[in-house]
Amino acid sequence: MFSIPTFLDSFGPLFWAARYTLLISVLGIGLGLVIGALVCAAALSSVVWLRRIAGLWVSFLRGVPLLVQLLLFYYLLPVIGIDVPAIFAAVVTVGICASAYISEIWRGAINALPKGQTEAATAIGMAPPDIWTRIVLPQAITLSLPALINELILLVKASSLVSVVGILELTRASQAQAATTFRPLEVYLAAACIYLIINLCLAAFGRYLEHRMAV
Amino acid sequence: MLAASSVEIRKVNKYYAKFQALKDVDLSIPPGKVTCLIGPSGSGKSTLLRCINFLEEYDSGEVLIDGSLIGYDTPGGRRMSGRKLRDMRRSIGMVFQQFNLWPHMTALQNVAEGLIRVRGMKKAEAEARAAEALKKVGLADKMANHPSRLSGGQQQRVAIARAIAMEPRLMLFDEPTSALDPELVGEVLNVMKALASEGITMVVVTHEMGFAAHVADQVAFMEKGELVGVDAPSGILHHPEDPRIQAFLKTYHERNSF
Repeated sequence: MFSIPTFLDSFGPLFWAARYTLLISVLGIGLGLVIGALVCAAALSSVVWLRRIAGLWVSFLRGVPLLVQLLLFYYLLPVIGIDVPAIFAAVVTVGICASAYISEIWRGAINALPKGQTEAATAIGMAPPDIWTRIVLPQAITLSLPALINELILLVKASSLVSVVGILELTRASQAQAATTFRPLEVYLAAACIYLIINLCLAAFGRYLEHRMAV
Repeated sequence: MLAASSVEIRKVNKYYAKFQALKDVDLSIPPGKVTCLIGPSGSGKSTLLRCINFLEEYDSGEVLIDGSLIGYDTPGGRRMSGRKLRDMRRSIGMVFQQFNLWPHMTALQNVAEGLIRVRGMKKAEAEARAAEALKKVGLADKMANHPSRLSGGQQQRVAIARAIAMEPRLMLFDEPTSALDPELVGEVLNVMKALASEGITMVVVTHEMGFAAHVADQVAFMEKGELVGVDAPSGILHHPEDPRIQAFLKTYHERNSF
């Protein structure tokens, strides 16, 4: 029989574990946005070897499962003599992986702008830095918002993978609790609800941003 | 009266890979006059126009604005620096077929942006100047609208205001009415006529033969990358000698009569 009290009692400890899920997702996407911007700039640059590096970066990180990347990075660090907490390794790996997708999202948005947008600015004598900050980026960021929110939601769900390096995030915590209470159905349903709440909030935030930036 | 530039085009060639888009084009554009470029699609009119502000890089020959070469340091020499090129472009306004307004800015911001970024004006001063330019094209009541809230004709008039606010000495129009619904063409042509009467140099790529006949001081006909003839409008449009011009006008009249 499904026990409603057990289901409700599961929320407390799971919410506590969800802080790792949130921390890893938010820091991961933050890092991903910064590195993604740099990779995107490299991919669009006129310097050939920068474009090559960006291409390799994106191919590797999109081509290797995040789970494998996490394990690789986690076991690589001690080998090269770096001792960091698991949570740090997890955030960095998630951020680096996200950067590959984010750089492609931005590259797509920038390339989607009609050529006339920059031509009009060039024709009145605007300098390239002004063209980027005033004409290209404001439009590209607006265009890329739906895809970025999508990426953030995927990341929240992918954060369950960091349990392989020993972090007790939401999914790992629910497994543990299911094992001790012998009530897997109640516990996993509670976990599902928490993921859903987080992602519905993110989607609503995304819609709010889109609405505010719409022209 | 605004100060007006002259343009001298000498033996200009332009290639896209193997395809030659401009073939030894020579054209003199006198200051303060309206020059219309006409001809079939793909004849190189727009390419030639875009060479004048170096949006299109010509491969050989010279384009001189008030006697100074644009795009290269010396004829056939190195590309000129970005800064020098920008300085030259400041006095050349351009209006595009697709308007190319910036959709994330209001009409007023579209016009003020160049004044702030290129002319270094304070925001308040730039917006006052932009408002004046918009009033001139009859859009005083649309300044707060984004482009998506304007008709095609209104968008093109904002684009003209954006160009004239910079006080150019030369205005380039690249098929400014080709993307417009027929009933909106007149309002844009009227603004252009008013501008022409102020004595600014204008180069207009157009399919509007009426505009060419009534407003132009000279009409240049192009075909297959060549400049076939330049003359007063009556010469080209009413008494053309070259059979290529005759053929073009015949098709034009057939299409536009019913």
